[in-house]
Amino acid sequence: MNKSRKNIAVIEPSKILYEGLFASILKSEYDYSFYYFDSFNEIELFYSKKEISVVLINPGLIQNRLNEFAKIKNQYPDILWIGIIYSFFDNSILKLFDDTFSIIDDISIIIRKINSLCNNNFTNSNESGQLSERETDVLHFIAKGFSNKETADKLNISIHTVNTHRKNIMEKTGIRSLAGLTIYAVSKGIISID
Amino acid sequence: MYKTQKSYITKDKKMLDLINENYSLLLCLQHFDIDFSVDNSTVEQLCVENKINLNAFIVIANLYNGFFPVDDEINKIDNIKPILHFLKKSHSFYIEDKYPELKYYLEKIKNVHTSRDFQLIEQFFNDYFEEVLEHLKYEDDIAFPYFFSLERKDKITQSKSFSAKEYRNHHTDIETKLTDLKNLFLKHIKIKSDLNVKRKFLNTLFGLEFDLKIHSVIEEKVLIPLIERIENEQNE
Repeated sequence: MNKSRKNIAVIEPSKILYEGLFASILKSEYDYSFYYFDSFNEIELFYSKKEISVVLINPGLIQNRLNEFAKIKNQYPDILWIGIIYSFFDNSILKLFDDTFSIIDDISIIIRKINSLCNNNFTNSNESGQLSERETDVLHFIAKGFSNKETADKLNISIHTVNTHRKNIMEKTGIRSLAGLTIYAVSKGIISID
Repeated sequence: MYKTQKSYITKDKKMLDLINENYSLLLCLQHFDIDFSVDNSTVEQLCVENKINLNAFIVIANLYNGFFPVDDEINKIDNIKPILHFLKKSHSFYIEDKYPELKYYLEKIKNVHTSRDFQLIEQFFNDYFEEVLEHLKYEDDIAFPYFFSLERKDKITQSKSFSAKEYRNHHTDIETKLTDLKNLFLKHIKIKSDLNVKRKFLNTLFGLEFDLKIHSVIEEKVLIPLIERIENEQNE
């Protein structure tokens, strides 16, 4: 929900490595939450509640599950995949990742790598949380109880566009229920109660 | 998946130390009906004294410390009764304690703040509360009796009336609305009121959210797999 705080998932069988990464990155100046996953199947479950920006993963875990990995990557195009390297992997596997680091790299280099990747990926998001004019229009109708289809007709746009606006509105306001959005719209004067 | 911060609870650790490290374990003890004067007892001693399945206790208490159970730990639980009692206890805690508390603070805020915005929030809360009651009633009336009957190995199982999927949808809804309420207060609506009252309201809201989250993890990740295991065993 909060764009500035990014969630990092770590899928790495070595607990010592995980704890070390966790402790080092947590003390850096950047704001990350860390989550430990047993396998990448857990991503789906987690993503329905919270967004994940980066997954740090041991390439050994995908080596024999390339199809599954490709499927997950497709399903969540926003996630960045960084390989944690401490043994030899074939180049054909390494190139599946957005980036890699070696565990003998200096920790500051690792952190900088994660951070620059993250920021590159988020430059297009509106950090101010202000709704755009079009989003306000969409909210106006949704809060009044119009369906996506009706809203699309009223504004002469496609349902797909309404859905996108709706998703952005929820992300910016942090409010997901219709009842909650209505209160938001009233408090901001987008609709009136009467 | 878990967020690393607190101790991982094991049978030989002293309960007192664990409480000092994370006092939300008090709520966990309350749901298990264990008294807070834990003296020098270890986790295991406390469980023996209170006749609670040790593995079930460890899995649940660790959730309060931020540790998500792995399959191995869940499979070690050979008695679901303490889990069912725990969940039932937490239901009454929500209904008799937490929600009335929230209502009380909302009432206090209302005395100072009479605008239409606030009426809407109150309406939102009341509707939300109705939904929660309905869900808890569903669990108390349909899900739990079914689980208990399974546990007793009764043959009168009417599993048709119970659906794990419905269970899950309810939870997501409850969590979404709670988050909305929090965000309305923290991000969007300026409410003139005593800061002290507002903080208490939010405090209660966060506390409730924390416990509800654990509650749904217990149900979805621990209880349901165990129920499915029992169902399979009985069908063999």
